[in-house]
Amino acid sequence: MSQTTSYASTSDAARHGDEPLLQVRDLKVTFKRQGEEPFVAVDGIDFDVRPGQTVGLVGESGCGKSVTSLAIMGLLPKRGNRVEGEVLFNGTDLLKLSDSDMRDRRGQELAMIFQDPLSSLNPVVPVGLQVAEVLERHKGMSRKAAMVVAREMLDKVGIPDPDRRLKDYPHQMSGGMRQRALIAIALACEPRLLIADEPTTALDVTIQAQILTLLKDLVRETGTALIMITHDLGVVAGLCDEVNVLYAGRIVERAERHPLFEQPRHPYTNGLLESIPKLEVGRGERLNPIPGSVADNLPWTSACAFAPRCLNALEVCREQTPQLEMDFGRALRCFNPVEVAR
Amino acid sequence: MTSTANADHDVTGSADSAVPADADHRDVLVDVRGVKVHFPIRKGVIFDKTIGYVYAVDGVDLQIRRGETYGLVGESGCGKSTLGRAILNLEPPTEGSVTFDGVDIASLKGEELRRKRQDIQMVFQDPMSSLDPRQSVESLLLEGLKAHGLIENDAAANQRLRELLAAVGLPPAALKKYPHEFSGGQRQRIGIARALSVNPKLIVADEPVSALDVSVQAQVINLLEDLQEEFGLTYLVVAHDLAVVRHISDRVGVMYLGALAEEAPAADLYARPLHPYTRALLSAVPVPDPVIEDQRERILLTGDLPSPANPPTGCRFHTRCPWRQPTRCDTERPVLRTVELPGVPKDHRVACHWAEQIESGELRPHEVEAIAVEQTAGVLAPDSPIIGPTSIGEIG
Amino acid sequence: MTPSPDRRRFGDSKKDRIDALAQTAGSTAGGAQGGTVMTVADAGRVSGGEGQSLIASAWKRLRRNPVFLTGAAITFVFIVLAIIGPWIAPYDPVAQPLLSQVRRQTNPVPGPQPGFPLGGDDVGRDLLSRLLVGGRQTLIVGVLATLGGLFGGLTLGTLAGAIGGWVDSLVMRIVDVMLSIPGLILAVSIAAIAASPSQTTVIIAIAVVQIPIFARLLRGSMLAQRASDHVLAARALGVKPHAIVFRHMLPNSLGPVIVQATLVLATAIIEAAGLSFLGLGNPDDRQPEWGQMLGQAQNYVSDYPHLAIYPALCIIVVALGFTLMGESLREALDPKSRR
Repeated sequence: MSQTTSYASTSDAARHGDEPLLQVRDLKVTFKRQGEEPFVAVDGIDFDVRPGQTVGLVGESGCGKSVTSLAIMGLLPKRGNRVEGEVLFNGTDLLKLSDSDMRDRRGQELAMIFQDPLSSLNPVVPVGLQVAEVLERHKGMSRKAAMVVAREMLDKVGIPDPDRRLKDYPHQMSGGMRQRALIAIALACEPRLLIADEPTTALDVTIQAQILTLLKDLVRETGTALIMITHDLGVVAGLCDEVNVLYAGRIVERAERHPLFEQPRHPYTNGLLESIPKLEVGRGERLNPIPGSVADNLPWTSACAFAPRCLNALEVCREQTPQLEMDFGRALRCFNPVEVAR
Repeated sequence: MTSTANADHDVTGSADSAVPADADHRDVLVDVRGVKVHFPIRKGVIFDKTIGYVYAVDGVDLQIRRGETYGLVGESGCGKSTLGRAILNLEPPTEGSVTFDGVDIASLKGEELRRKRQDIQMVFQDPMSSLDPRQSVESLLLEGLKAHGLIENDAAANQRLRELLAAVGLPPAALKKYPHEFSGGQRQRIGIARALSVNPKLIVADEPVSALDVSVQAQVINLLEDLQEEFGLTYLVVAHDLAVVRHISDRVGVMYLGALAEEAPAADLYARPLHPYTRALLSAVPVPDPVIEDQRERILLTGDLPSPANPPTGCRFHTRCPWRQPTRCDTERPVLRTVELPGVPKDHRVACHWAEQIESGELRPHEVEAIAVEQTAGVLAPDSPIIGPTSIGEIG
Repeated sequence: MTPSPDRRRFGDSKKDRIDALAQTAGSTAGGAQGGTVMTVADAGRVSGGEGQSLIASAWKRLRRNPVFLTGAAITFVFIVLAIIGPWIAPYDPVAQPLLSQVRRQTNPVPGPQPGFPLGGDDVGRDLLSRLLVGGRQTLIVGVLATLGGLFGGLTLGTLAGAIGGWVDSLVMRIVDVMLSIPGLILAVSIAAIAASPSQTTVIIAIAVVQIPIFARLLRGSMLAQRASDHVLAARALGVKPHAIVFRHMLPNSLGPVIVQATLVLATAIIEAAGLSFLGLGNPDDRQPEWGQMLGQAQNYVSDYPHLAIYPALCIIVVALGFTLMGESLREALDPKSRR
């Protein structure tokens, strides 16, 4: 376990650093398809991630959370997409880097894990070799040394019998084991930022608990900053330091997790929390759903997108665009926020 | 419903003693007895040889009472969806019987089965793929009515369609539209309207909300509850989301590897889970409350779900169970039984040899060595859906 | 295309647009319809107006696709030519106005000259006239051969895909055997079986070659449909088996088959030319056909290549037209490209 010591030193330094590791400034992603209206998937998003911090991006499908992460990683196809704004990683704007510079950083300084581990792994290469390849490429290790570290990594992410599993192909592993292998690949080079895009959505709840615990432990141990992208507020509640709630491509509320869940201020956040069935509540208690669907949204340019579905909506909500404003340590984009605690 | 009372009585007469004989018993709408669904694993170049079986459902007994919602919960590969389909005879059971209102559905075939389908309807997980993309909503909803001869003339049909749409909260304008023109939640409403169109008695809902956005899930859950009240429906809700099942069900059955591990009234199950697997499952659900999340003691299961093609001997759960004992667990398969514990109702049944000792704290959880399960090539992965009839005889 | 009741909506796009406008106007006016309520109903908004079927929305995308338009334009010109060819041709294709110039030894093929821009063929007939008239026979061969293949393939594919079991195995083994023989060889052997080669034998030979391709394709997509949720839903609903096959499985399986048909049209024309080239085409040249013209040009191809080049160019352009159309259709019908 020689890895642990080196991790510990970075993590100590990381915890006390106040400089943001990642600053996303006015990030805007527009999809332009031939013969179709341009579609703004991410509409001016700002947030910071400090070293060692776990930041959540929460929202439903189509809110732009995954597109945001792909834009940060420079993984959006150039054709048909326009990415604007700044993504400052340690002061360097990642959006301005050349493709080859970006490739050098990906896997080494920033890494990402995806929802579907099977399609993110190369099906014809044993997982051990896939971990080793990253080390060879970014750390210049020899195959032999890389395989030793790969074995350690598989062990670290809790894959039983790592010596044998090194030679396994992805299709021979279960979904949970594949996700562990993917985490091993992502963390092999000790990146400073890990982006996890719905890492447990495809997994069963008992396996999800394993993976979330693993992520939590690894992040704590290594001091890696984590951006957790999910639709599941339960996942966020147990994992994230700070939570950004996204709706229709914009951040509508940002707060530390305790205040956010104790007293959600944005009607959307509040509506989400109200509409989730709770374990302790049984039959007969009606849920309070958010009416409509994202298809009912208004354009942000002239209104609050959420207004048609919002129980707090005023006239002004349909006529003006609300701005993201600071309000007692939280950022809020709303003309008529929820006043009282749930 | 009085005409069926007789038939019900016959069922109770033939039922064996595994079910507690109480008043509720008389109201059983669906009686599942020893149902097994085994999928053969075939291999071969020219002639297919059966080299083994996937034991998707391996001996399930359950009763669904008229007017109640029975929730079937479990992880992927536990056989809950297959069981749901076996009850509809969309997947003919390999063994066992499914008595619905006095008729054994599992033994029906062809035209008889097709007619019986009017009584049992299904709501699917993915509303997009379960609606034929080439049919307008109108023709989707008319199809069942026509198939069962439920319409006399166009005016009556039109009236009926409007009622159906109104029941699921959609405007009449939806009739002329096609599935791809709706949002996910709206599509699921159409799927529910289609199920309602033939006046079923039982609706089997297979993961009815898991493909929907969080904010829309609640709409559909509320709708299902309203419709149950309005039309006196009985539901079997199959889902992996424990909170959803808890919210919608009167009674809940927990499945693990093709068999029921525990069955209880919803409130009892969640307040006092007796089976180690149920305990682990409940403790694993993320709760949107940081205070609870920070304090929770998680029972983390180690390792993978064993392959249903090669289930463990004895108790199916013993390979991952933190309370596993050296005796009985790996040799003797536990059956669902009532436990003699104060405050535990009779209809709270659990398939664990040591439920009492675990509950009293006499047995303590211990470390379990994780076992990664080799995913055998060619064998269906536990999370891949097993569907599709093999011949036209099974269509309809 | 598919026998669907929605075809009449093709021209309704204007109405749709007006409806859409009316709808946006309604929603900006807030809850005007719903009194004081600002919020949408639980189920969300459903826009009014007629729905748009999949075919209609595919058509909408196709209309603006330059590839499709090019292919369609070529095909259109070809079809028009096939209809009006005999009227615009300057000479009767069987008349031999240049016969006097043909010298077996010195000048077997009369060259271009005033009134005969492409010259004549080896028996003194006007080449331009024969090309213009030949389009019709070429189209007939292509369309009939494709239809024959489509019909056979649809029958076999539906049988295999819908009934399954041993019928499926039997049909598919036959199809496999047919597929294992290279297409042209199969066509040659079928054409050679016939007592005397004729237009009909050419069409039959090519049609038979196409059958296994269509059958396999249809059977594959029928099987996918059979395992699909919406077919399961129809079974659960108690829909009669034949209705499931003909209302749900077949219409949803036809997309790739229709695309394939446009591509096969192109290859059928080329294969007809191939058979003619090998001497198995229609020997009766009173009705000119491009493939046949190409075949007959082989004796003079080294000295007078233009005899082969003109019909070959026609075939290539027409085949390209159908292929472009087919490829853009495939793209438009692909559910993944729908948004």
